[in-house]
Amino acid sequence: MKPLAPLEGLELAEAASAPGATIRTRRRLRLSWSMRIGLGILGVYVTVAMLSVFWTPYDPLAPGVGDSFLPPGQDFWLGTDRLGSDLLSRLMTGAQYDLGITLVAVAVALTLGTILGVIAGYYGGVVDVVLLRGVEMFQAFPGLLFAMLIVKAVGPGVLNIIVVMSFIGIPDYLRLARAEVQARRNWPYAEAARMVGNRAWQVAFLHLLPNSIGPVLAFTSINAAFVALITASLGFLGLGLSPNTPEWGNMIARGQDAVMTGEWWISFFPGLAILGMTGAFYLLGDAISDLTDPRRRR
Amino acid sequence: MTAALLSIDRLSGGFLGADGGIAPVLDAVSYDLMPGQLTAVVGETGSGKSLTALSVLGIQPPAFRRTGGRILFGGRDLLSLDAAAMRTIRGARISIVFQDARAAMNPVFTVGRQMADVFRLHHGGSARHAMDRAIEALGRVRIPEPERRARQYPHEFSGGMAQRAMIALAALICQPSLLILDEPTTGLDVTIQADIMTLIVELCRDQGLTACLITHDLGVVAETCDAVVVMHAGRVVETGSTEQIFTAPAEPYTRRLLAASQLGEPV
Amino acid sequence: MPPLLRLILRRVFWVLPVALGVVTITFFAARVFAGDPTELYAPPDATDALRALIRIRLGLADPLWVQYIHYISALLRGDLGMSFSTNRPVLIDLWDRLPATLELGFTGLTIGILLGVPLGVIAAVNRERWPDFLVRGVTLGGMALPQFWIGLVLIWVFFVTLNWLPGPVGRLPVGIDPPSRLTGFMLIDTLAAGRPDLWFMALKQLALPAATLGLTTLAPIARVTRASMVEALQSDYIRTATAMGHTNRTVWFRHGLRNALLPVVTLIGGVAGHIFGGAVLLESIFGWPGLGQYALQAIDSSDFAALQGFVIYASLLYVLAFLVVDILYMLIDPRIRQ
Repeated sequence: MKPLAPLEGLELAEAASAPGATIRTRRRLRLSWSMRIGLGILGVYVTVAMLSVFWTPYDPLAPGVGDSFLPPGQDFWLGTDRLGSDLLSRLMTGAQYDLGITLVAVAVALTLGTILGVIAGYYGGVVDVVLLRGVEMFQAFPGLLFAMLIVKAVGPGVLNIIVVMSFIGIPDYLRLARAEVQARRNWPYAEAARMVGNRAWQVAFLHLLPNSIGPVLAFTSINAAFVALITASLGFLGLGLSPNTPEWGNMIARGQDAVMTGEWWISFFPGLAILGMTGAFYLLGDAISDLTDPRRRR
Repeated sequence: MTAALLSIDRLSGGFLGADGGIAPVLDAVSYDLMPGQLTAVVGETGSGKSLTALSVLGIQPPAFRRTGGRILFGGRDLLSLDAAAMRTIRGARISIVFQDARAAMNPVFTVGRQMADVFRLHHGGSARHAMDRAIEALGRVRIPEPERRARQYPHEFSGGMAQRAMIALAALICQPSLLILDEPTTGLDVTIQADIMTLIVELCRDQGLTACLITHDLGVVAETCDAVVVMHAGRVVETGSTEQIFTAPAEPYTRRLLAASQLGEPV
Repeated sequence: MPPLLRLILRRVFWVLPVALGVVTITFFAARVFAGDPTELYAPPDATDALRALIRIRLGLADPLWVQYIHYISALLRGDLGMSFSTNRPVLIDLWDRLPATLELGFTGLTIGILLGVPLGVIAAVNRERWPDFLVRGVTLGGMALPQFWIGLVLIWVFFVTLNWLPGPVGRLPVGIDPPSRLTGFMLIDTLAAGRPDLWFMALKQLALPAATLGLTTLAPIARVTRASMVEALQSDYIRTATAMGHTNRTVWFRHGLRNALLPVVTLIGGVAGHIFGGAVLLESIFGWPGLGQYALQAIDSSDFAALQGFVIYASLLYVLAFLVVDILYMLIDPRIRQ
């Protein structure tokens, strides 16, 4: 039998005009439903947070704007708590805390973690080993406990929580970025970038990083949801912020005893607020990984 | 003239796009498979030859939508069968050998176990008996040490060995009346390709199988097949006996195809 | 050497440096971050001399590195030190509380796996149809809600409103004496003591916290199972299994699920490490006397030895969980066995 060239030229031409190709490009440009819903919800939260700076129905911090334990009704849409503060006003103001802390902490962790990860992945060697071992030790440490310990030491405060949350997030970003960059370090295009005279940092950050960022970005959303939940947990334990702060976890803790006597609304609504925000982050995470991971694309 | 075992009759369809529209890929595809013959379906990647064959078994990609046509097998339209009736056809009456046999077998079960499972599905009997038949089948496709090989996993097989096992599964374990071979030699070394083709032809003759060989390798076709169907861009361009197609191709596309394979006269 | 033994040995050698690192970090972090516990134990009007005495009693008078060496050498003898607040050896404290955490954890994890895996499979085989959307919606909620809030809502519904289940007061109703400890598992010890009435009480106490844990556990398990199944169902061997005439059930569960299990097992390992490390907030809501509460109290009272003991336990558990995952990997996937 003669060795035969399988119709290579024809195949290429066919592939270019294959119906699948156009379908796929069109899909990528279309925003998925999870992306739209996630962005929509986050948009509402941002709007509410900004609005609450200027206006809330009542003073969120003032006690006694109504009677204690008023159920949801006409004057107080979501009711009042034990001190007679308006829950809706507190919930709106809470968006400033929960959303603000989450966004800033994630941004810091993303930036620092990715930079360290790219360095570890690109240079390898001692730097890599030291960073990775350090990360491993921190990850064997229970995360919430660690946050509690530090927050207890440095005291409550928005800035402190942000620092702690970023610190907890850094190891994951570092590992992700490292793995991606390391896998691509010796690919032909990196080689080519070095060959035409780019410096090491230019190859690492300008050529490798943009190609490695997909999984990192998808993780960012998941991480944001996690940070939001831990922030609320700290608030629930009374460790995060001063007791009267209308942070959602704080508010749930404040209504905990009332739940036992049937005044459910004080703890209930802040939970829904958290659900909306973290849910939106998860939806975004799903959408981003669908976009960036070719295997998950249909 | 005898009746065809399988008759594809003006099969049309396309892929469902994200916008809800259908991008056509098959345009009134018709061809017959005559009993006892080895028919080749040739064409480029994307010509629709594999898609047509997968449609016969109802295992086409989920995005494929049929817009018309029938597939007649033993007088029944396969496309009108419900899921349960279709299952009695799959494997038992029509079986298939896939391109990359190592990926086509389940990585977490031994090769023997997978064959024995299928044997019991179609013929019943004890697990012990089924495993014996599996080992016997592996021996028939000339796999050395079949007892030991049956206890191994697909990743422990070479590409050629895995394809032999796949053929044993599809032809000898299933014992179908129609065997579809979807690019069975693509991706294998040239010498191994020849061995595999020899094996396929031999098994088909011995078992009296009707077979449909889907390939883009015209060299294989010239030496082994009885009839040829040429497909291009979702349409059947030309059908005929192997001799007819290779010596007196009627269509320009067929001539170009032969020329590209350095088999026919230059155009 | 058999591969299994080699794996275990490798894990053990890997755990030693990590454990030492964790211990060291905890030791210094506790002393830097948790504050000076002397104030907690000294009366407000204590003299400097009394304070100094307390510091000596608590073992805090020596320089930090001397304390560290003392601690490590005691640790090597299996001595985790004394808890400041309970005045008992930390090891005994942990041992006392371990069964409560394990009983809750096992129950919750079992619920999570038994519901989560089938839900994930159902969603995957009905991809982009209503069962899929339903499962995805519910599990999204399970992931996005704080565990403590779910616990509170369940208490509100089933205890406060319906009064079907008892309130959050721990493992047995208030005023009921537990049976003598045999295993420490309430559901076993009550039966061993021949007290089905107590067994039923214990079960009712366990129901709400276990359901909360189960709900929050099933969400990630179902999602990972779904994603992994979707990928497995697109592979060639699934097409082969279908083409050979296998039924859908065989194709999905025997051929698909088995291949989709690896990521699920990894996830369950991580979740288990978390759960058995003590669900801190859950235990505090339900008054559950487990290790999570112990850790919380240790932080509150700057109880160094107790905190360190807990962290050592939690990190060892993590390593153990991943060892089990590795062993399961070898059982599931023949490609990893070599």
